[in-house]
Amino acid sequence: MSADSTPRRPLSFLTATLRIFDIAVGQLLWSRRTVFMALAAGGPVVLALVLRALDASGVSALRVNGARVGGPVMFGGMIWLLYLRFVVPVLGAFYGTALVSDEVDDRTITYLFTRPIARGSIVVGKYLAYLACTVLVVLPSVMAAYVLLTPIGGGSIAETFPLLLADLGLLALGLAVYGAVFALIGASVPRPLVVSLILVFGWEQLALVVPGYLRQFTVAYYLQSLVPHAMPHDETMTAIQSLFSEPPSAPSSIFSLCLILVVALGFAAHALQTREYVLEQ
Amino acid sequence: MTEAAIVSTEHLSKWYGQVIGLNDVTLSVAGGVTGLLGPNGAGKSTLLKLITGQLKPSKGAVRVLGEPVWGNPAIYLRMGVCPEQDAFYDRMTGLEWLAALLRLQGYGEREAVAAGVAALEQVDLQEAANKRIGAYSKGMRQRVKLAQSIAHSPDLLILDEPLSGMDPLARRKTIRLLRTWAASGKNVIVSSHVLHEIEALTSNILLMHNGRVLAEGNVHQIRDLIDEHPHTVCIRSRHPRELARELVAHDDLLSLRFEDGAVYVQTARPDVFYARLTGMAAADPTGDIYEVTSPDDNLQAVFDYLVKS
Amino acid sequence: MPIHRERYRRREDGLDVRGRAWVVIALQGLRALTRKRAFLYLMLVAWIPCVIRGVQIYVVANFPQASFLAVTGRTFRDFLDQQELFVFFITVYAGSGLIADDIRANALQLYLSRPITRTQYVAGKLATLMAALAFVTWVPATLLLILEPLFAGNSTFIRHNLYLIPAVAIFSLVEVAVGAFTMLALSSLSKSRWFVAVMYAGFAFFTQAIFGATRVATQSTAFSWIAAFSNLAQVGDVIFRLPPRYETPPIVSAMFLVALVVVSAAVLNRRIRAIEVVT
Repeated sequence: MSADSTPRRPLSFLTATLRIFDIAVGQLLWSRRTVFMALAAGGPVVLALVLRALDASGVSALRVNGARVGGPVMFGGMIWLLYLRFVVPVLGAFYGTALVSDEVDDRTITYLFTRPIARGSIVVGKYLAYLACTVLVVLPSVMAAYVLLTPIGGGSIAETFPLLLADLGLLALGLAVYGAVFALIGASVPRPLVVSLILVFGWEQLALVVPGYLRQFTVAYYLQSLVPHAMPHDETMTAIQSLFSEPPSAPSSIFSLCLILVVALGFAAHALQTREYVLEQ
Repeated sequence: MTEAAIVSTEHLSKWYGQVIGLNDVTLSVAGGVTGLLGPNGAGKSTLLKLITGQLKPSKGAVRVLGEPVWGNPAIYLRMGVCPEQDAFYDRMTGLEWLAALLRLQGYGEREAVAAGVAALEQVDLQEAANKRIGAYSKGMRQRVKLAQSIAHSPDLLILDEPLSGMDPLARRKTIRLLRTWAASGKNVIVSSHVLHEIEALTSNILLMHNGRVLAEGNVHQIRDLIDEHPHTVCIRSRHPRELARELVAHDDLLSLRFEDGAVYVQTARPDVFYARLTGMAAADPTGDIYEVTSPDDNLQAVFDYLVKS
Repeated sequence: MPIHRERYRRREDGLDVRGRAWVVIALQGLRALTRKRAFLYLMLVAWIPCVIRGVQIYVVANFPQASFLAVTGRTFRDFLDQQELFVFFITVYAGSGLIADDIRANALQLYLSRPITRTQYVAGKLATLMAALAFVTWVPATLLLILEPLFAGNSTFIRHNLYLIPAVAIFSLVEVAVGAFTMLALSSLSKSRWFVAVMYAGFAFFTQAIFGATRVATQSTAFSWIAAFSNLAQVGDVIFRLPPRYETPPIVSAMFLVALVVVSAAVLNRRIRAIEVVT
């Protein structure tokens, strides 16, 4: 039998969070979901490479009425269309909802629930692992796309560098907020992914085009107000959206996003602490 | 610890929507090894999940080692849980998994690895310590699950169907391990639906059926119940009429009937009856009796009997 | 013959499949779906646009001052366009577990050890999903087509737009078949319905996002073929005799849709086996 005479005490919330973080990082990086993270982060880089190659070869695809489309404009479009509308919410939804529901579906949550740690620390630790992984993968992808696209049409990296920093901060904040919201959904509802997709591609899209205060109940509203590039009008919805656009100030957006993050993560921890998970046999 | 109640419940009930998992159970489990016995769906796993704080009681209360268990993570310093489900972090090796879980028990990094290695040795998995759990066989998975529950040396070990999926050798070793564990003053609650598995571990059992505790006490008393309640035996013989004539001469026979060429007898004292039948079969040089079976020599028969009585 | 020379041999008299096993699988699937409250809510919400369109048809037919809401062929095209969102959610909800759950529960081997062929199994699963999707596309659109002459009191609109009857049916079939084949193929690739849903949504939105980015970079919609759902929209416009919305030739979009269905069928053919090959 294991001899162990040292009297032990339950881990503090912070220590437990960090230990859960250690376990979760490995799980996140070496799971099948890594394929998605690679695709989501690698896709824009591949696209940027193709555009750069097309530009270098002088193909007319990148010319509108004979004039070249500038690299910074392309990069701005990529930030809006690929990162802000796809990569950030989708990674948030896919990873955020899985933080708890994966363990419940795989029935491994029992091993964590029968340890002397606060249950809330499980969701917070896993959330931090999600944030570390996604930020470390997405931000380098943004930087690579920036470096590849900006010089097209004579754009200057030195001049636009502050914009890149703003983009990086904005996307990191987006990943943090969406992750927290979806962690809450994952800890609270039985089919979290469907709910999350409805939230991102249903509710957020709809609320943004409805005049009035409804848009204030979306994450996208605050995130979009922080984007340093002009919104591309690629679809009818975005055209309508820009018509009614009354963006809040940057400080108020950052404050609102931080508030959403803290509240969502707090409720997620509370849900895990108090909810009972009946595992399928 | 062995004298005081290690687990006590008061009017404990659990229902899942409209389905009752556990129905008004009041019990007190003393120290040592206790077997939780019952057929599938009896409520054993529900009771164990309530005792281990994985489920919240719908009604009533449960105390483990003198403390409430729901929302009390400190209790897991003294409790080890081996759940029923075959679920693991398949990409981790056995040792990585144990060390990670031990870190959550408050162990330092080195300490956790050392305790993990020791626990894997106890379940004979030291050679597979650095293999991925995904590559383990069913029996190895059962053993690594057991290892994680004993690795932090808890006072109370709760095991839900720990022997299922193990080969006979591993089963024997596990039984020996649990007996040694109990002999060192620790407590074990183990569930199974197989009577002889429980008998091999302990004589102290709780019999469950339909979400209720039917009986608690010594396994031998349960055995006696099996032996004492009217017991049906089916005997096939080449000359059933002559055999029946021999059998009715004794007063422990309650009834006798012929069915499909066999003699069905009901006896009040199966032990005496079997002894006599063995003698008759041995004494008969023609080998008239060629098959003896008992349609109700199983746990379900005892449950049916206890429910009726 | 020595026993080691014995081999498994194919039955020479073929498989005697009585009845239509795929119907049993499909009905069982639909029954399981309709028992889920979330699915029923989703269906209910998916019918709201149909109710609104019904009101529109009624108002136009009975109040001349509402002529600006006049019903045309485009109304039906727009209606089916709007239903795309519900088609997506229902495909994810109802389709992701159709095969993945069977693989997870080792039920695939059980199914295929019965007198059921692989084709019947896939047909049953396809029918489950396609029926659910048809209930939010073809059924409401056809209902609207029936309501129009009933509210108007004459059949002028239908007589002038007879093409709408096959157009609604063909487009619904294309939309439902592409979604169902793609989802089933993905569902056969994993044990986890969650992962399947992720793959499907990722495929749909990622290709759309890439198209969006190329659109901004090139200021052209010639790359719409990259996005699966854009191809569907492009083909839909042609079926409804409307000018295509993107610069991609409609035949190219149609070929991509056909390719998607063919690839999905090939994946299903490879994955739906009674034995599991462990690699």
